[in-house]
Amino acid sequence: MKDFDPKIIGFLCNWCSYAGADLAGISRIKYAPHLRIIRVLCSGRVDPYIIVTAFEKGADGVLVTGCHPGDCHYISGNYEAEKKVENTRKILEKAGINGKRLGLEWISAAEGARFAEVVNQFTEVIKNLGPSKAEVDLQKMKAAKEEASDFRVRWLMGRERDLLEEGNVFGEEVDRKEFENLMDTVIETQFVRSSILTALKEEPLSAAELAEKLGVPSDVVVQNLVQLARGQKVQMIEGRPIRYEVIPW
Amino acid sequence: MYVCHCGLNIAAVVDVGAVAAYAGTLPDVVVARDLSYTCSDNGQRAIREDIEKYNLSRVVVASCSPRMHGDTFMKTCEAGGLNPYLFEMANIREQCSWVHTDLEGATQKAKDLIKMAVERAALLQPLERKKSAVTQSALVVGGGVAGIFSALYLANAGIKTYILEKNPSIGGHMAQLDKTFPTLDCSLCILSPRMADVGRHENIELISYADLEDISGHAGNFHVKVKKNPRYITEDCRLCGTCAEKCPVEVPDEFNRGMKMRKAAYIPFPQAVPNYYLIDPETCLHLTKGGCRLCEKNCPSSAVDFDQKEEVVEFDVGAVILATGFKLYDARSKKEFGYGVYPNVVTNFDFERIVSADGPTHGKVLRPSDGKKLEKIGFIQCVGSRDEKEGAVYCSRICCMATVKQATMVREKYPEAEIYVYYTDMRTPGKDFEEFYQRSRDQGIVFIRGKPGEISEDKNHNLIIVSEDTDSGLLLRNTLDLVVLACGLRPPEGVDELAKMLHLSKSPDGFIMEAHPKLRPAETAIPGVYVAGCVQFPKDIPDTVAQSGGAAAVAAELLTKDEVELEPVQAFIDEELCIGCGLCELLCEYGAVEIRETDEGLKAHIVEVACQGCGVCAASCPKKAIIVHHFTEDQLLAQVEGALEVKEGIA
Repeated sequence: MKDFDPKIIGFLCNWCSYAGADLAGISRIKYAPHLRIIRVLCSGRVDPYIIVTAFEKGADGVLVTGCHPGDCHYISGNYEAEKKVENTRKILEKAGINGKRLGLEWISAAEGARFAEVVNQFTEVIKNLGPSKAEVDLQKMKAAKEEASDFRVRWLMGRERDLLEEGNVFGEEVDRKEFENLMDTVIETQFVRSSILTALKEEPLSAAELAEKLGVPSDVVVQNLVQLARGQKVQMIEGRPIRYEVIPW
Repeated sequence: MYVCHCGLNIAAVVDVGAVAAYAGTLPDVVVARDLSYTCSDNGQRAIREDIEKYNLSRVVVASCSPRMHGDTFMKTCEAGGLNPYLFEMANIREQCSWVHTDLEGATQKAKDLIKMAVERAALLQPLERKKSAVTQSALVVGGGVAGIFSALYLANAGIKTYILEKNPSIGGHMAQLDKTFPTLDCSLCILSPRMADVGRHENIELISYADLEDISGHAGNFHVKVKKNPRYITEDCRLCGTCAEKCPVEVPDEFNRGMKMRKAAYIPFPQAVPNYYLIDPETCLHLTKGGCRLCEKNCPSSAVDFDQKEEVVEFDVGAVILATGFKLYDARSKKEFGYGVYPNVVTNFDFERIVSADGPTHGKVLRPSDGKKLEKIGFIQCVGSRDEKEGAVYCSRICCMATVKQATMVREKYPEAEIYVYYTDMRTPGKDFEEFYQRSRDQGIVFIRGKPGEISEDKNHNLIIVSEDTDSGLLLRNTLDLVVLACGLRPPEGVDELAKMLHLSKSPDGFIMEAHPKLRPAETAIPGVYVAGCVQFPKDIPDTVAQSGGAAAVAAELLTKDEVELEPVQAFIDEELCIGCGLCELLCEYGAVEIRETDEGLKAHIVEVACQGCGVCAASCPKKAIIVHHFTEDQLLAQVEGALEVKEGIA
């Protein structure tokens, strides 16, 4: 893998880590040249959809960096970033992308040396994993993008901190483990549904054809088709075999 | 498209000519130039002229960090007639030429960064800055020397200034000092006239004995909430002191660092401003247990008022100067030196009171344990400074000179005494500092390079110090009457809350971080919030006063304007997509999103004065109905694509 020059996208928050990266420069600390930095105001701005898209477009790694916990310029944006990265990693894994390709680090404006260290370490991780090309299946990436845009997945991601810290609307405490299990289940089922939607957007297919195309058991496909039909996402087309199509917006 | 050489800062590692040539081949690029110093007058003129000549609709500069010159070039574009938000920057210095050595790799990276910037630039939208009126007044938090001078500079310039002090009197640490280095001016003699100026200035409102509850808002318009604690004595006090005389409660006096007693009815020190007595609610018999009221019965001015309650006052200011000073390192953490255990081990600040004419011994320098005159005295430097174990790698800057001053004062009082200073490095960078230090050596003060490992005590409370003299390699054993620990300075109490309240960054040492270590030392990253004195980093009195002037000047720059421009980088709701689910309202830390009833049902609404543009709402919106101006999804994805697109045929 000596000749592998990984392409790594870095999303750096303006206040802490972008300033930390500048400080690495001001201190003339050398580090690996593979990172391409994109400045955002807050790490919490990094939408899961953008991360998934970066992998679809060929990124070998994505590194999100923000202020240290408790130090966020926007009070809690970094906690939101943490939730988003954790869950996006799960979505990527469903699509066959190694979760280690998505990194999250806290770097303050004063940590130039640490920034260089983090970049070197992350670059090393990505080099060891090799090119992402081997893992990227465009069909699955489309499904992952669909999932990253899904209402239920995004709603739960956004509510996670509030539910765990403040409890639900009935004033009941929500158990972290329980919530994570729920989140895992939602991400898993939604990935199947997103895969179905992505496939049906291209052409109408029957349950059996979908099962074969997606490599998912046909009973699972049927269950999810029923749910998608109830949610007014897909509809049946009369005829034999019964095929399904996406309901246009 | 402009690629900057920055002298050799960029050009030494990046092939600037090749990069500019490459930039010229990118789609939509009309003109690509390499300039030796783009930020110079010539460079900026070239940009302005090109905007007119080629009717440019976007400008991209590849040079230093946007944190360095982003504003500079936005202004250049504006001057050339282009909306400043149509400008984009590629950081090829701090994040490229300065961190790589490989010419080829760095050049390739510079090309990629430029491609990303050009792709993003194509999607930028012009944004208009809205204006908001400036409240032409200031708040200074902290009433030590930094706060006093900041407030006076502002007030003398005609700006209404509130100065907030948590203690009953302004004056801070400087009021506790006996003399100041290197001139040996009496500290209070030079400070108290300025304290009095603060007390009676027509443009200054002094709020003492009060706590800061909250500050919210933005440059030009901050809302401040302050809790004033009751003093139980009104301004009718004539300073006769009868209340203190009659008060039966004695407690350690904070001003004299617990080495003297005061009453529960007291004045912190004679020159206090505001200059009247108060009653300490934590020790007053009447306020803790009921009864007593001797002060009230005997006060000839009827100034005692036990009905006073704490009071919350709120007001608006346009700028805030933080001047909350420092906290002295707690020498008890260094158990090996026995501070708090051995009576004859004191800190540098204790020593200021011991040597002070109105201190516990009326200026006679005596041993705390038995009042004996001093024959042998030692000073230990770098206690809690330059000490990684104690969490402070930095030098506290004032302790070397303070020790030279204190040793000189001991020499004045005891011409025969043996005086030893145990040091790591003597640091005397300041006007007349080195001369002062050399004079102290000439006076027979012995400087030993070496930090003692521990202090032990014999039965007569004499202190035994063993240390290596690293210059001679000898092990020295010394028996001393008194040891002064030159304690370092730590961030002040409440600095974390303050940083949180105002969204400020702290340096790794815990002090408030300035906007730029060299060029903006009195500003913070938050517009309208400034720093003066030790809250930013330890410094001596001359530097503190200088920085206070700087802070006042930058604050005045803002406060003499009628209007301030608001940052247009904000969220925007696409009402067609929004279903009013309320997640954004829940997540926004600034209360900048409100769900409102509309004809189309519930919809989110952005409160423009509150939105900070962080984009958390947009990244979370389940319907993806929120756009963040200047950081839109399209713009970010354009950068991603710019970075990833396979480069063809261009080496």
